[in-house]
Formats: sequence, C-alpha cells, structure tokens
Amino acid sequence: MLHRPTSHSAAIGPGPVPSLANPGPALEQQPRHAPQAPSCGSEAFCVDPQALSSSHPRQHTQYPYVTGTSVLGITFKDGVLLACDTLGAYGSTKRYKSFDRLRKVNDVCMVGASGELSDFQYIMRLLEELSDDDFCMDDGHHLKPAEVHSYLTRVLYNRRNKMDPLWNSLVVGGFHSGKPFLGTVGMIGTSYTDAHLATGFGNHLARPLMREKHHPDMSEEEAVALMHECLKVCYYRDKNSINKFQLAKVTKDGVSISEPFALETNWGFKLFQNPAANAVGTW
Amino acid sequence: MSGIGTGYDLSTGTFSPDGRVFQTDYAQKAVDNSGTVVGIRCKDGVVLGAEKLIISKMLEQHSNRRTFPADRHAGMAVAGVAADGRSVVSRAMAEANQYKSIYGEAIPGHVLAERLGSFMHLFNLYGGYRPYGVSALLATYGKEGPQLYLVEPSGVTYRYFGTAVGKGRQGAKNEIEKLKLGEMSCREGIQAVAKILHQVHDEEKGFEMELAWVCEESGRHFQRVPQQLADEAEAAAKAALEAEDMDD
Amino acid sequence: MATALPVRAQVPAAGQATKQHASWSPYDDNGGTVVAVAGDDYCIVAASTRMSTGYSILTRNKSKILRLNPKCVVASAGMQADMETLHKMLHSRHVTYQFNHRRPMSCPATAQLLSNTLYYKRFFPYYTFNLCAGLDDEGRGAVYTYDAIGSYERVGYGCQGSGKELIQPVLDNQLKAASPLVLPQQQWLSSLPLEQAVDLVKGAFVSAGERDIYTGDDVEILIITKDGIRTDSLQLKRD
Repeated sequence: MLHRPTSHSAAIGPGPVPSLANPGPALEQQPRHAPQAPSCGSEAFCVDPQALSSSHPRQHTQYPYVTGTSVLGITFKDGVLLACDTLGAYGSTKRYKSFDRLRKVNDVCMVGASGELSDFQYIMRLLEELSDDDFCMDDGHHLKPAEVHSYLTRVLYNRRNKMDPLWNSLVVGGFHSGKPFLGTVGMIGTSYTDAHLATGFGNHLARPLMREKHHPDMSEEEAVALMHECLKVCYYRDKNSINKFQLAKVTKDGVSISEPFALETNWGFKLFQNPAANAVGTW
Repeated sequence: MSGIGTGYDLSTGTFSPDGRVFQTDYAQKAVDNSGTVVGIRCKDGVVLGAEKLIISKMLEQHSNRRTFPADRHAGMAVAGVAADGRSVVSRAMAEANQYKSIYGEAIPGHVLAERLGSFMHLFNLYGGYRPYGVSALLATYGKEGPQLYLVEPSGVTYRYFGTAVGKGRQGAKNEIEKLKLGEMSCREGIQAVAKILHQVHDEEKGFEMELAWVCEESGRHFQRVPQQLADEAEAAAKAALEAEDMDD
Repeated sequence: MATALPVRAQVPAAGQATKQHASWSPYDDNGGTVVAVAGDDYCIVAASTRMSTGYSILTRNKSKILRLNPKCVVASAGMQADMETLHKMLHSRHVTYQFNHRRPMSCPATAQLLSNTLYYKRFFPYYTFNLCAGLDDEGRGAVYTYDAIGSYERVGYGCQGSGKELIQPVLDNQLKAASPLVLPQQQWLSSLPLEQAVDLVKGAFVSAGERDIYTGDDVEILIITKDGIRTDSLQLKRD
C-alpha cells in the first residue's frame, strides 16, 4: 500500500516533502520511530511522546461517563443477530435515549458496544478510517469480520497496556464465506468467539436463556424470538436499560439495522409486585 | 522555451529575468506529453476519462491506473508522471481523511482542490525540490453538488464545466465546448468522453481507456465505470465516429 | 451496572468516604488448568477449555494451547488477553525463526525463548502460567514449567493454572518424581506406558473439575509422538 503522509497523524513521518507541507507546529516534533509505524489505523497504538516526558503523572480514564448497557449477539442458520437498547446513561440518569449502539462496519460486518459511548465513537472512527482506506485502494478487498475482531482486540489491549483503557465491551457480528462470525472484546483485551454472546449484565441475565434455547441451525424467526425474550429479561432486571431496542442482522445479503422498537412487557408477575413474598428478611 | 541554456532553469528557486520559473514550465511540459485525460461535469455527476497508451504488448489489461478514489465522494484522474500522480493522490486521501476526522463529514470539493493546490505549490518554492509533473482532474460529489477541478503543477486550481489535459487537450477541449453539458446525463457523458478520447488519439499504437465517475447512479461514490457500461460506451463511440467518417 | 466486564466494585468500609466509581485493573484471571506429562518417547499436553471471569463463564470452548510445530506446543492459563498476545508473539517469532533457519524451532529453544519473552515484561508481566512441552532433540518427552516472569525448569510433568493445587499432588504421587537433591541423579521422566499416562491425565482433570469452578466443560488433549500430534478430548461437567 501507498505510504500516506496524513497531515494530522503523528504516526506518519515527514517523508520527502517540504516541511511546510505538514501544517501546524505540532507536527515538527514527530516521534523518531515514525517511519516504522503502519500507515493507517495506527493512531490507537501510538504513544503521545509529550505524555511520557511530562513531570507529573498523566491523568488517564479512571471511570466511564456516558455508558450503554448489555449488547446481545446470537448466530443462526444463515447469519448473526445483535441487539441492544438505545440508552446512553449518565450514571443512573437516562441521558441519551436514542443512541445507536449498533453500527455497520462494512457489508459483511457490524459492531455493537456497551460501556463508554464516547470511546465507542472513537473506535468507530478508527474502523471507518480503515474501511475508507479499503474503498480508496479500490481493489475489492475489505476487512473480514475476524479481522475486525482481531483489530479491535489489539486496539483495546494496547490501550490497557498504556493504563489508559477504552472503556468498552464490544461485540463483532459478521457473515463471510458462508459462515457466521460472532466475537467479543472486553476493555482489557479479553476476546473470544462463541455461538452466542452477551456483554455486561447480559452475561448473567441473557446467556442462561441462550444456553438453553440456542442451537446453531435455528431459523431467523426463531433467533429473533429468542433475542426478544433475552432483551425483555434484561429490561426487567437491568435498571440502566430502557424499552427501546434495536436489532441488527448480518447475512449473505449484507448488514441491516432495524428502526428502534419496544417490546410488550408484563409487570403483573406476583414477585414483581411483592419481591419479598418468598424471601422473608432478605429484601 | 527561450530560457534553455541560460542557467535560469536549474531550480525552482530562481526566476528568469522575464519572470518565469522554468522548472514549473517544464513540469507542465511533462503533463502536455502525457496521454490525454478528459473530465466533464454533467447534470447528475462528473465523468473522468483517461487515454492510456499501451507501452508494451505484454502489458496486463487495466494496469497503469490513471484514476483513483481519494474518498468515497471524490476521485482523481492524473496526467503526467504516473508516480508523481500516485503521490498526489495519496496526499488527497490523507487530506480527505484528516478533514473527516476533524469535522466528521466529507471534505467539500473546493477545500480538497485548494489544499492540493497549496500542496503542489510548495514544490515550486524551494531549490531542493522539483514540482510535481502532474495535472490532476478532481471529481467530487458532495453537498455542493457535482464539481470538477483541475490542479496544475504550479499549484493553480480551476473549477471547470469540462476540460482536458495531455497530448490531445486542444482537440478535446474543442469537442467538449460543443457538448451541452448542462443537459447531459453521466450515461451520455461516458459515451461523449469515450468518443473524444478516440477522436484525439493519433498514434499508431493502440490505447486503453479508463473511465471513472461519481454520480447519482454510483450512489455518489467515486468508482470506475462498470466494465460493461464502459465497453458499451466505447463501442457506441467508435460506431459514431465511423458514421461521421462516412459522412465526410 | 452499565459498565464493562472486569470492574471490581468497591465496598466502602464503615466510616470511610464512599468511593463513587469502580476501580480499574489491567489484570483479570480467566482461570483454566493446563497439564503436561513427558514420557520416554511421547508427551501429553492437556488444557481445559472453560474461560471465566469472577463467577461467570464467558465461553466453554476456548483453546489454551498454541501449536508451534509437530514437536512443540505452549499451553497457558491465567489472563486470556495476555495469553493471546503471548501466543501471537511466539507464533510470529517462530515464523521468522523458520525463515532464518529453514527448520522448526526445537522444544528446548522454544522454552528459552518463552522464558525471555516473559522476562522482557518483568515489570508489567504477562499474567500467564505456562507450560512448554514437546519432544527434545533425542525424541524424549520434554516439559518446561514457568512462573509469570520467566524463571523456568525442565521437569518430567507439570501443571499450571487454577487447578494446579488439586492436580499437582496427584501427579507427584503417581509419577513419583525423584527429588533433584537425590544423588546419584534419578530418572525424572515418567515410565508409564502412553495409554496409562493419558488415563492419569484424564482422571486428574475429572477430579479437578469436581472441586475447581474454573476447570470444566472440555479438556483438549494433545498426544505428541515422533509421528506427530494426535488429539483427544474429554468432556467434563458443565456446572
């Protein structure tokens, strides 16, 4: 690939151009190792040299601000489903109620995020940059789901190594060469693939349902029904969730992300009305 | 070029007494000797076409690319030194990428053209550098509609309804002026461009045509014209030319 | 509770100011047990496939074994992200080694490389507990056991990870490692026939799966002989 001297990225060396071709004084002090850095998607891996030289300790991300709750994912016969609600919570305040936490990467791949939503937007920008590059290379190649998953794993792991984590659990869903792909990455770089996944609370609330009812050759209708059930259970028990969901699907025909929808709920269960009925002295 | 041998053409760092920078003029010459590149702005998009001279019978089809995407909505066709062209294109990609990372939206055509103009201009200022031997036709389709720009080795930037650079530019420009660009769709445009390129091509060796567009039909994405459409346009262009020859 | 996985909630002690936010640690223990037994002409490597965090199971099917070549594998328990990184690193080092030497890396060489790789991160260690196992240059089984920062030793059998306290004594008892202090030096390879050794490993995993919540689901078993690597598996309880 062509070496691209991006004007803003400190990862890219000066190259054979007049110094003025690199706008801004910030670019005068570029790291010495710059020419060895990869020429795209590398920002996430670059250490800001000023951070290392300053005398007082650097303030890293200590906690998340605006967060999204669980993302659920399941594979089915001819694709993958991802689902989550559309809430961006500021602590326990329901701050943003129509935040898209499921995003398309390219025609074979999508990503869903829980955790810090600004970090997610930054991550999406990295992925967009990579797929813009794929577009510009104009050779028909694009990132496959497993490659996106691996890339995100490296990004999150590198940031944890710098003690400056991206505060997310991500789910990658994709469909390529006839096979569904479903993988997840946590904020310290923990990554795995499975036939069904859930981040955060979903791992406690939805995974048991999935383990009971999921089978790899289920139809799309069955998969959607299972997903709705899981979403509903998460909504009943997770106070940081709202009844406004999105469902994303990737099959051989590409990625589609649904409009937000609500599920019918029933709050009349006996235990909802009196949770302490069978547990005297605990609640 | 009266300056030859007078010593004023050795670097871009010196003007000649009559106010020229000869290295810049020479760079323009490199462009003028290249295969013709044509661009027209139609009502629903921009069409770029390049005449690629076949330098060897053993050359693979579609090699020596002359049209390149710079972003989803923007792309270029370069005339002149091919390697310089790729360098300019990679700068365009970088600028488009940087603009998007700051403003979150696609770079407008005029901003990209001006940035490329300033970039290429820098190489006309210092003794140690040579200007790019490239004229770049830039096609964009953003919020401001379809637009066509030309960036020259000196760094000047123009916006055009239609223009041509390279060996056959004069004939091509004459033909473009006859077109009714405001009423023409890109479908018709590719045929017009194909016809012009065949008309101005005057070498015994054959040439390969490269057509690219950014238009409604391509979803406002810059892409090479699908092979089938390009072949059809070329065939129609050839037929039209033959018919005209018969009339003469 | 909207935050991502490995957040440890702080329980404020009485009288102390309430800490508002979850603390963050770059480390997590994803559990799992790895075992290797060397024989006269074979080596058995086994690893459980459960991956957990805290009391949750993340997945039931995650391999912990890196197969470098038909005579050498590395098995790691501990933190999965570090394990993945370490394995990627070793894999790429192995590929470049092959470009330079035109042959796969031997098991003793891999063992030294693994030690160096771990020690390189002495002050921000890989939270992994490794076994390097395979056949040495004479074709005998070889097992190397490590701590997280790279000190290592060749042994006749080894066990690492969450179930090591349960399995190691069983192996000690059955394979009767002679103390390295005994003189003259004793043979430390197990002299069990291969099938018996496989049964021993399986039995050990079944027992560990009974008591260790981080060991379960499946066991991936590799049997390394001069003819290559054969695989076997064992289902454990999924509770």
